[in-house]
Amino acid sequence: MERKGENMYKVSKELKDRTKELNEKLKTKYNKVFQMSKNEIISYIEENIGEIIKLESLPLEELKKYYEKGGIIGVDGSKNRIGSASPHFVELYQGLAKCTKGQDSSVYKGDFYTPLYNEEEKNILNENEVKTNSEEKILNYKLSKIEVDAALEGINKFNPSVVMMDGSLIRYNIECNNEWIKLKDECEKRKIILIGVIKEIETSIIGNSMIKNKILKDYEIFGDREMLYGLLEYKDMILIETNVGNKNEAGLSSAFIRSSFSPTAIGLDILESQRDCIIDMGRLVVSLTAENSRGVPLWLDIVDKEVKISDKMMRGILETALDREILEKLFISERDKRWL
Amino acid sequence: MVIGGKDMKVVGVTTCQEIYIGSRSRNFRMNEFLIIQDSYQGDLLGEVVEAQTYNRYIPLNINGDLADNHVLESLRAIGYDIDEDTIYIAKIRLVNEASYPVETGSDVRIPEFSEVKDLMIKSSLEEGLILGEIKNTDQMVKDMDDEFKDILYTFENNELNEQKGIPFIFNLRSMHQYPHIGVFGGSGSGKSFGLRVILEELMKLSIPTIVLDPHFEMDFSQEGEYIPKDLRKDFSEKFKCFQVGYHIGVKFEELSNQDLKNLLESSGRMSDSMNNVVDILFKTRDSYLSFHERLKMLMDAQEEGSLDKIINKINAATTAQERKGWERRKEIFLNYDKICPYSSVKGIMWRLNRLNNEGIFSKDIREVEENLKMGKLVVIQGSTRILQVFSTYLLNNLYHKRREYKDAQYKGIAEDYFPPFIIVTDEAHNFAPKGYESPSKSILREISQEGRKYGTFLILATQRPTLLDETITAQLNTKFIFRTVRASDIQTIKEETDITEEESRRLPYLKSGDVFISSAVMGRTVFVRVRASDTTSPHIENPFDELVRNKSDDEEKFYDIIKNSIPINEPDIIYIIQDIEKETGITYTVEVFKERLEKLVQSGRLKKESTPFYDVYR
Repeated sequence: MERKGENMYKVSKELKDRTKELNEKLKTKYNKVFQMSKNEIISYIEENIGEIIKLESLPLEELKKYYEKGGIIGVDGSKNRIGSASPHFVELYQGLAKCTKGQDSSVYKGDFYTPLYNEEEKNILNENEVKTNSEEKILNYKLSKIEVDAALEGINKFNPSVVMMDGSLIRYNIECNNEWIKLKDECEKRKIILIGVIKEIETSIIGNSMIKNKILKDYEIFGDREMLYGLLEYKDMILIETNVGNKNEAGLSSAFIRSSFSPTAIGLDILESQRDCIIDMGRLVVSLTAENSRGVPLWLDIVDKEVKISDKMMRGILETALDREILEKLFISERDKRWL
Repeated sequence: MVIGGKDMKVVGVTTCQEIYIGSRSRNFRMNEFLIIQDSYQGDLLGEVVEAQTYNRYIPLNINGDLADNHVLESLRAIGYDIDEDTIYIAKIRLVNEASYPVETGSDVRIPEFSEVKDLMIKSSLEEGLILGEIKNTDQMVKDMDDEFKDILYTFENNELNEQKGIPFIFNLRSMHQYPHIGVFGGSGSGKSFGLRVILEELMKLSIPTIVLDPHFEMDFSQEGEYIPKDLRKDFSEKFKCFQVGYHIGVKFEELSNQDLKNLLESSGRMSDSMNNVVDILFKTRDSYLSFHERLKMLMDAQEEGSLDKIINKINAATTAQERKGWERRKEIFLNYDKICPYSSVKGIMWRLNRLNNEGIFSKDIREVEENLKMGKLVVIQGSTRILQVFSTYLLNNLYHKRREYKDAQYKGIAEDYFPPFIIVTDEAHNFAPKGYESPSKSILREISQEGRKYGTFLILATQRPTLLDETITAQLNTKFIFRTVRASDIQTIKEETDITEEESRRLPYLKSGDVFISSAVMGRTVFVRVRASDTTSPHIENPFDELVRNKSDDEEKFYDIIKNSIPINEPDIIYIIQDIEKETGITYTVEVFKERLEKLVQSGRLKKESTPFYDVYR
C-alpha cells in the first residue's frame, strides 16, 4: 500500500510540476493583458472596438409585442455518434425550431451521416477535399444544415418575429452557405429578426485589434473570451463597430453581452441589415436570461434540452431501425459492446 | 394537443399486467378506471394505481441553471408558459391480465358506465348493502341506470354531498360463499362510523343481527340532523338495545360446567384447583341458590376447622333448624373437604358473588332470541369484561340453536326454527385475542370456521388486526380497511388482504371515512367513500362542549332555586339555606352557598353590593 502511495505521489509530483510550468508560461503570456487595468481595457474597447451600452430588461408589455408579432423561435441542433474510426460509424442529427407561441409549436428535422454511404454528401466537397478525405467538413455541414432547415421550416410554419439560433451565425455562412443564404433572404424578406446567441465566444476581435495597434505582438493570440472575463458589468453590451472584426464580410454584426452574474460574456450575432435592432435584441436576451445562470437565454436552454439526442435515445433508435446484423457488423465497436 | 383528455396514451415499457400512460392535459386520479384501446387485443380495462405529474423544467433546473421568476415572466410574456410542459403519468394495473403486453402508443379513454357495470355493481339494490360511493368514478356515471343514482349522500369536509359516483353495493348474498367481514382501522379512521352504516343497511334488510357493543355507541335512535327531513329513516322498530345485567342475563339452570367456569373466570383468573372445585361442587340443574348454598355451607364448615368442632356446633345448637343446618354442613364437609381446599372454595364464592351483584344471574336471553327471530338488530351492551363472558354464553347458545335446527332439518327431524344471523363486534381483538385463550375466542373461532354452513356470519371490527386471532383473520373473506398508521398493523393487513404495495403505502394517509374494501367477491380492492350514516352515535358531543354546557346548566339550576330569595343579605344566608332544604331537599353549607353566589356574580347574573355591615347579592 505504502509503495503504491509513493508511486502515485511520484506520478502526481511530475504532473504537478508540469502543470506549474504551464501556469508560469500562461502567466507570462497573458501578463501584458492581465497587467492592464480594467479601466485601461475598457477605454481601449470604447476607443477601438465599439461603445459599451447598459441594457435594460424589456418590460412585459414590450415582450408581449414579440408575442403578438408571432413569438420567438429558438433553434438548436444535436448530434450523436455510434461506432469507431471512419468509415465504421454513423452520426444522427436532429434539428429543432420551437416557437414560444401556440401549442404544438415544434419543428423537428432529422438526418444521418455515415462514410459507408455518402453519395448524397460527396458533392459538398471539392476535388481537393475529396482526396484528403476531409470528413470534418461534411460533419459540420450536416449539423449546420439541419439547424438552418429547421429554422426555415419553423419560419414558414409559425411566422415568428424573432429567430434565435443557438451559436454563431457566421458558422452557417461557412459551413452551409447555400442554405444560410436562403435563411437570410427569407428573414430579410419577411422582416423577421435573425440572431445567433453564442455561449462560448471563439473570436479574438479585441486581441487582433490590439495587435494591429501594436499593443500586443502579432504572435500573441488572445481570445475575446479571456479578454472579457469579468470585464463587463452585468447587462453591459459592447456594440462592435462595423469595420472591426471580420463578420461584416458575411453581412453580420455582432456584440458582446454580460447577460448574467457569471463573469463570462456571451456573443450576439445579427444580420447587418437588421443592425438597428441589436440593442432591442440585447435587451431581449438579457430579459430571457436568469441572472444566476451561465448567461444563456432560458428559451435556448429549453430548446437545447428538447433537441438533445441522448445516448439512450441513440441506442433505442438504432436498435429498432437497423437490422441487428447491419448494426453489429458495421457500427458496433468493441467499446460499444459494453452496452449491447 | 387535444383538450378533454383525449391525448392519453400508453407509454414506455409495458407488461401484460401493468402499463404506464401519459397525458399532457389531463391529470390522473387514484383508482380511476380507464380503457386502453389496444389495436391487437381490443379494449382492456385498467385501474390507476399510481399517479404522478412531472415537469422537466421545474424545479427550473436546466443544464444546471436555476431560472428565476423574472425570466419565467418574460417567457410567459412571449407566449411560453413553462407549466404547460407538465406531463401527467399514471401507472395502470389491468383488471384482467392481457394475453400479450399492451401495445405502447395505444390510446386510452374514459370508460362508460355500461363497460364497468359488471365490475362495479355486484348486487341488486334490494339485496345488497349500499355502503358508499366508489371513489373517483364520477366521470362514468353519465349513462348510469337511474336506479343507482341519488341513493346516498356522502359527508365530507363538514358538509353533506350528493352522490357523484357509482354506489358501492356489498353483495350480502355472497357471504354464503365468502363468509365473514373484517373492519380494520385506527381510532378516528371512520371505522365505527363504517360499522354503523353496515348495521343500518342490515336493519333495512331485516337481517337478524347480534351486536356486541362495549362502547355503548350502537344506538340508532338519533337521526342524523344533516340528512334532509323527508329522507330520514326511522330505525326505532328495527333494533333493540339490551344491557347485560339489566335487561338480559344468564339463566343459571342452563349453565354447563364449562359455562360456569368461563363466567367465573371473567371475575378473576381461576386456578386449576378452583376449576376442580367447580367440577366437583356444581351439579347439573343447580340453581344459583342451590349452588351458592352448597358453597356457603362448605365454607362455614371449613372455617370451623375440624370435624370435632362441627360436631360441637351440632351439639351446642339451640334450635332444631340450626342443628339440621350444621348436620348438613357436616355431611358436605365429609364429602368435599379433602378435595376442595378452603382457599379455592373461598375464591369461587368471591367470584360468584361478584357476578351475582352485576345482575347476570337474574335475567335470561329469551328476549334476545325473540328479537332475532323478528329479524331485528340486537345490541348487547356491557363492559368489555362482562361482554367477553356473556357473549361466550350467548353466542354458544344461539349458534347451537341454529346449528341444531339445521342439523335436524338435514336429518329430517322436527326442531324449533332458529334463523340465520350475523354477529357483529367492535374491538374484536378483545373477544378473540391472538396468543392466549379466552372463552369467547373458541366460539368465535368455531363460527369463523364452520358458521358458513349454518348461515352464521361474523363482522369483526378492530383497530389492532395484529392482535386478532390468526385463524379467525384468515377466515375473513372481505376486509374493510380504514386509515391505519401502525407499521405492524399495515404489515398484517398486507399479509391478510390483496391490497397492493402502493395501496398499503396510502393507508396512513386515508381520510376518515375512506376505505379500501378488499373482497373475494370483487376479486380486487375497491376504494370507497362510506356514505353518510342515517343515524348518529350518542357520543358525538365534544366533551369540552359538554363541560361548558354542564357548567351553565348547573348555574341555571342554582339560580332558579335562589331567585325567589333575591336580594340576599349575607346574614340571612343561613335561613335561606334552611328554606331551600325544606322546599327542595337540597342541602348547602354556608361556604358552598356563598361560593356559588360568587360564581353567579362572576358570570354577571348577580351583583354584589357591600354595605357597612354586610354584603348584599341582588
